[in-house]
Amino acid sequence: MAEPLIVLEGVWKTYDTGALAVHALRGIDLIIEKGEYVAIVGPSGSGKSTLMHILGCLDSPTRGRYILADEEVSGLGAGKLAEIRNRFIGFVFQSFNLLPRASVQRNIELPLMYGGLGRTERRERANQILERVGLTDRGHHLPSQLSGGQRQRAAVARALVTEPALLLADEPTGNLDQGTGGEVMALFDELNRNGQTVLLVTHDPNVAARARRVVRIVDGLVEASAEEQAA
Amino acid sequence: MNFASAVADGFAEVRAHAGRTFLQALGVTLGVASVVATMGMIASGKAQSLAYYAESGGVLKGMVYPKEIDTVKTSAREKASPGLTLKDVVAIRAAIPGFDLVEPDVSRRLLVHTGLTESVYRVSGVGPRYADLHELQIERGRFLTDDDMATSSAVCVLGADRAREFFGTGDPVGKSIRLGGDPYQVAGVMRPREFYFGGGNHNNLEWMNELVLIPATAMLTRQVGSGEDRIGSIGIRLASVEAHKDAIPALKRLLLARHGVEDFEVYDRQSRLDEMNQQDRVYDITFLVCGLISLLVGGIVVANILLASFTERIREVGVRKAIGAKGWHIAVQFLVESVVVTGFGGAVGLALGVGFVHIIAILLQQPAILTPTMVVAALLSATVVGLVFGMYPAIKAARLDPVVALRYE
Repeated sequence: MAEPLIVLEGVWKTYDTGALAVHALRGIDLIIEKGEYVAIVGPSGSGKSTLMHILGCLDSPTRGRYILADEEVSGLGAGKLAEIRNRFIGFVFQSFNLLPRASVQRNIELPLMYGGLGRTERRERANQILERVGLTDRGHHLPSQLSGGQRQRAAVARALVTEPALLLADEPTGNLDQGTGGEVMALFDELNRNGQTVLLVTHDPNVAARARRVVRIVDGLVEASAEEQAA
Repeated sequence: MNFASAVADGFAEVRAHAGRTFLQALGVTLGVASVVATMGMIASGKAQSLAYYAESGGVLKGMVYPKEIDTVKTSAREKASPGLTLKDVVAIRAAIPGFDLVEPDVSRRLLVHTGLTESVYRVSGVGPRYADLHELQIERGRFLTDDDMATSSAVCVLGADRAREFFGTGDPVGKSIRLGGDPYQVAGVMRPREFYFGGGNHNNLEWMNELVLIPATAMLTRQVGSGEDRIGSIGIRLASVEAHKDAIPALKRLLLARHGVEDFEVYDRQSRLDEMNQQDRVYDITFLVCGLISLLVGGIVVANILLASFTERIREVGVRKAIGAKGWHIAVQFLVESVVVTGFGGAVGLALGVGFVHIIAILLQQPAILTPTMVVAALLSATVVGLVFGMYPAIKAARLDPVVALRYE
């Protein structure tokens, strides 16, 4: 299945801070194929977060090309990027980022709502996904009424409900203890076995070890040796 | 995303922040309350002046006066004019069907001698339908008649206050008084009139209780004499509001033709009412501007609190954007929120304003007047305030960079 989902060609990201330009990414080339399980690692300040933002279409590269699912997304406007995020990408954040005043069910329906789906279909799909992450009986609870592990599973459910091509997780176990963190990782493993492309951004070697490929970012570049090692 | 979901989002936010919502709504509440109270007061003021008009004979009444003429510069044509006479009264009655009452009035200040008192009073020579013109009613005896008019009878009718003044508590009917030296028999006494307008000690309609009336013909032949038939004024009443358009110009044409010169003035209440309405509009605008300024202040409060609560929601906006919310989704959510708050504030303000109007009405002994227009205006202005002042925070939120928003702590 050598079908690329993500193609980055010479991607630069430069922040103009006034006095001097900071190069967060300095010519990244990266191909991720459909169904891959990739961990992006690197010390803080390496540009790993910037790379994640660009891969997640939250930000655009200053230079270079980004092709996601055969569509060039570098250079698209904010509205178009919002659509791409809604259709192709599911985000899981370290701090869960569930909306605190909305029920779990409503949180999960939110991406579908922004995607323009009707009420009945939203409900149906939210129920399916709740069942898949084992939270069927928690739909009407507020996020604050759930345990940390349950919250992260709710967040994963929200990310998956649109059936995204790419699941993008930023330190997904960072706020969880080892046991619940392991549960969430097991969920990712299972999702990948079923064909879901999963991209983890982490500095935890244990988490990175579950991926089948590790991409190490150092000083805004992909460290060649790490790529080779993992391969 | 559909509109109903956005409204639901807005409501959820409002419910989650009761304290903040209350403060936000308070500004609009007071603004709307003051607008409603102002409109209510304006309406009741208008109702009052209309009530004054109704009590003093309604908008159908009018008057014809002789114009003041400079005797030195009087032209030959003016000298040739007979002036306003009883013949004019007869001619108007015959020619213009638009008036249902045309009544002469010729008044003089005469020495009145009652046996008890002797003093100078205003005595009016009038026709038998003078009572209809001013909506006067007889308490005892009778009013002047056509017969009195035809025969210049020496009879008089007294207003309630005058009757008491001249005769105390006794019955004046049949008694005799001297007016300008001549004996007149009291034929009737009018029922005292009470006036709603003004309410105070003195009233500018009080003269209706201070009348001393005799037949106009008696006034001309007995008191004025020397063949003089000029009268002081002609009271007119339109048969209907619609008659105004034709009857007033016809009256002017008729008198001009009869006199050869415009030595008269026609005063009608419809024209005066139009002027009054013009004046009212100025008041309306002034008061409404004051009300709108307080609404404006309310709006600024809303915008301020929305902006103050803004920072705590930056992250939420980031999350929403990450999962696919476009700028306008965020903007609609914020706008709905502010409109829900101001709409709620407006509803409470409406209730408060209605309360104000009733309290003021009781204090000033005026009628409390509230119209559907006022309700609609209050709620509409609250909504508009929400939209206008929610706009800035909404646009600010919509433009947030998702990366910055997600990182915000």
